[in-house]
Amino acid sequence: MQQMIFNLSLFREYIANYMKTKLTYRADFWVEVFSDLMFSATNLIFIFVVFQHTPALGDWSEAEVVFVYGYFMIPYGIFSTFTNLWNFSERYIAKGEMDRILTRPAGSLTQVMLENVDPPSLIGSLIGLCIMGASWSQLGLAFHWYDPLVLIVMTLGSVLVYMGLYTALATISFYTDAPTGIAPLMYNIQNYGRYPIQIYNKGIRFLLTWLLPFAFVGVYPASFFLERHRDLVMAWLTPVMGVIFWAIGLWIWRRGVKRYRGAGS
Amino acid sequence: MLAIDVHQLRKQFKVQKNREGLKGAMLDLFKREHTEVMAVKDISFQIPQGEICGYIGENGAGKSTTIKMLTGILVPTSGRILVNGFVPHQEREQFVGSIGVVFGQRSQLWWDIGVIESFRLLRKVYKVDEADFKARLVELVETLQLGDLLNRPVRKLSLGQRMRCELVAALLHNPSILFLDEPTIGLDIVVKTEIREFLKRLNREYGTTILLTTHDLQDIEALCSRVIMLDDGRIIYDGGLEELKERWGKGREVQFQFTDPISLLDVSGLTSGFEGVRWTKENEVTAKVWIPRELNVSDVLSRVVGSAAEISDIKIFETNTDEIVREIYKTGSPEAKEQAKEAVRG
Repeated sequence: MQQMIFNLSLFREYIANYMKTKLTYRADFWVEVFSDLMFSATNLIFIFVVFQHTPALGDWSEAEVVFVYGYFMIPYGIFSTFTNLWNFSERYIAKGEMDRILTRPAGSLTQVMLENVDPPSLIGSLIGLCIMGASWSQLGLAFHWYDPLVLIVMTLGSVLVYMGLYTALATISFYTDAPTGIAPLMYNIQNYGRYPIQIYNKGIRFLLTWLLPFAFVGVYPASFFLERHRDLVMAWLTPVMGVIFWAIGLWIWRRGVKRYRGAGS
Repeated sequence: MLAIDVHQLRKQFKVQKNREGLKGAMLDLFKREHTEVMAVKDISFQIPQGEICGYIGENGAGKSTTIKMLTGILVPTSGRILVNGFVPHQEREQFVGSIGVVFGQRSQLWWDIGVIESFRLLRKVYKVDEADFKARLVELVETLQLGDLLNRPVRKLSLGQRMRCELVAALLHNPSILFLDEPTIGLDIVVKTEIREFLKRLNREYGTTILLTTHDLQDIEALCSRVIMLDDGRIIYDGGLEELKERWGKGREVQFQFTDPISLLDVSGLTSGFEGVRWTKENEVTAKVWIPRELNVSDVLSRVVGSAAEISDIKIFETNTDEIVREIYKTGSPEAKEQAKEAVRG
């Protein structure tokens, strides 16, 4: 608990420093926001284009697929804000910045996450929320008092699934010299999670549910709110999978750090 | 109490062997070959609290690897380390609060924001009390004369200014041991001297134990009472600097300036009878004589001074550490060399 409070206070400091840095490079900040928005827009347009050619995917309507995409954007934005580990291998392993991290009295993963915190990604989450809201009314779904609470729990679960997987992925850099091409592969698989899983064959469904559980960052938790596709078991497995995968990710990280060998000098 | 206690410390790295050519690269793709490289070979040493110890050796001798194991960055392959009563890699987060680290090639500071902002953040990370932090900062800023730099972003500082800020960053939490890896690399002589003075003062006033690696032997001469010399992962010398000079300094050099032009033959004649004495001519009126350690300098001097030649100036050079160290590197370990000498004598 004390550790948690300490980490939160660190978070505040790092965000403050982030802001001070970004204020010196204001253009950079807006360019990033803009490119994030463009990226989401193209994804959305893709869905619309698909539905111009077919009335339904499986038995999912356009509005339902857009709803799932809206949900998908929320945890993805939060995850991208806090677990921006794309350049981990290069910056911390190849350039040896991990040295500095390890000489400071705070969790190594906490520090790496905080140093790369990327608040503009949160705007994606907001837009996702809006898309979800729009589809919600379009589909004429009922609104229950507990829906916002469930959304928060589901989002947390999805974020933890992401963090666990990408932390484990970043840890690979401790074991191999050369940065691998696994990250883009992972990223592509992750994108399957934002479409209804029922449209895929058995093998891919198994992969997306149990091995690289990206179905838990999109379709499963979102199904809780979609009356026609509701799958309560899978939906409530989201926080469970989140905790399990986060624990696995942390465990792998702790082992990986012991293998760190520094760079040059 | 010992600040650092190292026993039979070893670090092995697995290094990938890259085979040559396209065929080799293809083979590597399927079957990687590894070689084990031992960077640190079962070294042991103890450093008591309050000592300034220099850790020297050529590139790749294992200095940085040792320092990284002592600071908890690397996990040793085998052996025992105890620093400040902690096993560094096992109790890392707790341990690093009691040490300060300055790696000359890496910065502790945030590049784009004012130095003071970095210090504030480090205060949080190290959980330093606000009042303590302020007092400490005022003192450090004053001794290192950083006053007007504090609000400048790191990227606009010169290397010397940055280095002084790095020192402050490493000392804000008042560590009892300070590790410095190449602290004066690339700095001009004025800044070097300032930093040395500062470290001496730190050691004197707070009893901070300092372990520093350096290639600049002037650092060692200015600061260290003790030197640990490393070669190929092994300790080849561990002891006082004076002793090192005495044992391995091979002689002294005296320069004479004569009033009249001299020839090498003339001056050599002056010291005939002294064995091992060697003259070199610097210019028309100046000559240097090298006197081996076995001979008494004053004997040689008096002979030259007592001669007919008129002398306008005399300078005595002590062999500097640089030369001694170079000599030791060239011949391998001093012990091995000593043994060889003994063997020849016996």
